Amino acid sequence: MFFAGLIPSYLALLAFLVAIVLTVLAIWRKQSELPKLVSLLAKFAFILQTLGVISLVVMLVLEDYTNYYVASVVNPAMPGILKVTALWGGQAGSLFFWSWLVSLIVFIALSSKRKLIDAWSFLVLAANVSFFLGLSLFGDNPFMRIWALSDGSLVSSLFAPEAGAVVHKLSIGMGLNPLLRHPGMIIHPPMLYLGYALFFVPFAVGISTLIQKRNDDQLIHDTRTWVVLGWVFLTGGIVLGSWWSYDVLGWGGYWAWDPVETASLLPWLTATALLHSFLLERKRGIFKRFNFVLVLLTYLLVIFSIFVTRSGLVNSVHAFSESTISIPLLVFMCFWLLTSIVLLVWRWKALGGEFEISSPFNREAFFLYTNIILLALTAVCLWGLIFPLINGALTGNQVVLDRGYYDRTTTPLFLLLVFLLAICPLIGWNAVQLKKIGKKLWIPLGLSVLTVVILFLSRLRIAMALAGIFLVALGLFTLLTLTIRDGIAVGFSKFWAFLWKQRNRYGAWLVHAGILLIALGIVGMETLSTNIQGTMLPHEKMPLMGYEIEFNSISETFTNPEYMTAQSDTTLYKDGKEIARLYPAQHIYPERNQFISIPAVDSNLGRDVYLLLVGYNVDVPYITLRMSVNPLINFMWLGGIFLVLGGLCVATTSSHVREDEELVQEEPLEV
Amino acid sequence: MKKKNTKLIIGIVIIVAAVVYLIASSTLSQSQYFLTVEELQSNQAEYVGKNVRMSGAVLGDTIKYDPQTLELTFQVAQIPGDHRVIEQMGGMSVVLAQAAHDPTLPKMTVHYVGPRPDLLKDEAQAIITGSLDENGIFQASELLLKCPSKYQSELPEQSK
Repeated sequence: MFFAGLIPSYLALLAFLVAIVLTVLAIWRKQSELPKLVSLLAKFAFILQTLGVISLVVMLVLEDYTNYYVASVVNPAMPGILKVTALWGGQAGSLFFWSWLVSLIVFIALSSKRKLIDAWSFLVLAANVSFFLGLSLFGDNPFMRIWALSDGSLVSSLFAPEAGAVVHKLSIGMGLNPLLRHPGMIIHPPMLYLGYALFFVPFAVGISTLIQKRNDDQLIHDTRTWVVLGWVFLTGGIVLGSWWSYDVLGWGGYWAWDPVETASLLPWLTATALLHSFLLERKRGIFKRFNFVLVLLTYLLVIFSIFVTRSGLVNSVHAFSESTISIPLLVFMCFWLLTSIVLLVWRWKALGGEFEISSPFNREAFFLYTNIILLALTAVCLWGLIFPLINGALTGNQVVLDRGYYDRTTTPLFLLLVFLLAICPLIGWNAVQLKKIGKKLWIPLGLSVLTVVILFLSRLRIAMALAGIFLVALGLFTLLTLTIRDGIAVGFSKFWAFLWKQRNRYGAWLVHAGILLIALGIVGMETLSTNIQGTMLPHEKMPLMGYEIEFNSISETFTNPEYMTAQSDTTLYKDGKEIARLYPAQHIYPERNQFISIPAVDSNLGRDVYLLLVGYNVDVPYITLRMSVNPLINFMWLGGIFLVLGGLCVATTSSHVREDEELVQEEPLEV
Repeated sequence: MKKKNTKLIIGIVIIVAAVVYLIASSTLSQSQYFLTVEELQSNQAEYVGKNVRMSGAVLGDTIKYDPQTLELTFQVAQIPGDHRVIEQMGGMSVVLAQAAHDPTLPKMTVHYVGPRPDLLKDEAQAIITGSLDENGIFQASELLLKCPSKYQSELPEQSK
């Protein structure tokens, strides 16, 4: 299996390098189309690379403990599905997997019917695949074998490190870190990576367009679907990661402004801005330069995010992980950054679409404000990540910016964004009069005031929570009333067909509703969540927010060969009535000297009651429990589903939407 | 038309200025020193009571946890702060393993109240936010153990 994996992988790299040479020759001969041969070669290389990945997966599933990577992420007790996902459970494997995903995207782009990829854009894509594949094979090769030297010591190497060394097979592997054995973790990394990789195609087309001075609207028409899909996968990946951290990391946090999290948010912010400015250019032919800047920036931030995750440099000087690949990654990133800047400066004049906003109070202007805020958020997060590095280099002092910094800077910006989002559908494409807005506004405004009044009367007295809920309600009721008005205008019998036909617009609204729901979840977690900790003897109770938890019993079982399960049995009461039996537990891995908490959650749309087993003793017996009541948290996951569904609706539309189509259904609203 | 665009540009400039102010003021008020055990101990007087962050290798034998009171104490040993030094010494896992078994290194006692983190164990890297008290004990408000996404286990001991 070793050679079956290694040889195709090296051949794939070779094929890509040959393809690059052939493409350069074609460009030299002033040929802008991609030669057929090159396209075939790249597809063939992808198939070779796929063989490499399949071999590694087979080695993982068959537990080939002569392989260093396999031995470090797999063990016999792990279920089969986890052995497959161990492919991206460690640094070497996930880098290899990532390079394969980039190759997959190139394969799909080359196979698309439209002639999307020309010689220049292929050159950019092939350079990316070769770089990451090369980085994997020469920087952190997943096919490394374990060798026993003549003195008995073990080393990892591809081939015999000295004469007389023999391949050594370990009797057992380490296995995947228990924290990574979670359904969220199975799909979160591939989704995120796929989202990242999809942005490579718009970048390549963008670079090619700039180089060839193709001053047409090709960029948007060709790459819109890629950007939308990239956005969908990235969004799904981020939300899943958040859910995983809420469900597994014990304290019930959904977002911690960890540098890796923050870095994944960066391309998401610029891609979101890109979707808005694409729409504007499609409709009005403005924002052309903005588009190019955002396409290039999104790719660069993807590479930056990979750098943050893999180099170990940014989290701190007190580095998290050792890494030999940080310097090549840094050089690679700087190369594309410089290329992008040079090309933009060179073509800046030629790109000039007219920049004219007819009124500061129409939808164009609102798109502009939205994008300014999104870019401001990008700047804030980017600064939070690089300031410690810059400061360290200049002063020698190690300084960090943590949650406090992000809370302070992003909260006002996110609030503004939600406010814009709430009122945006009321603003038409042309300059509007306040009177007209007022007409459309009074129903949603009335309903949201009513919501807040009802909450106030039911004794919710936290100003921040009420303000947040008001904003969210205003946005949701606006979207709802406008949709119903459309329904009345079209006639309800034809409504579903109409919604589907206009899914470009309603998909976007679904996404907006999703953002509002996530905002609602954040309001709940940040302003209303409460918790209590305590130690309980059997049949003692602990109260919180009208709930009571009673401790019944605690037991230890040894059903799994790897870990011992300590499971407590508790009863949850609401106003004195039993509503659920909950079993918060710990899995204790004696060999690893580690345990992970398995929280028990009683969940409904309004709130989670979240129980964490913090400590226990079976002999006394007692347990120490942490109980949290997290109102509105589930709206966050619901919002995530809205985002993905809405994004998929938009992705299925053609990029050639005529302007009059939009105006047709805007008419009935202007009553 | 021209006039309106000018207004818009003025508006944008104001927004940008506000954002820059937000970033600058938050950077000044929220940045924390990130120190090694050695740095913290050699300038103890300077840092007492200040909010700082510290990194060190967890000493497994010193972990004491009382689930009744949720009081957690443990010691961390000095590890170098410079990324390049760590790389030269053979990487983070080597540095942590050495630090946990080298009695000559400076050590610091950490005190924390709350649930015991899942990853707190011997040779783990702890990143601790909090402040130093007068007795030279680090009162932690936040504990961060080696991040799972970058977790890579070492080769197991030779097992036959």
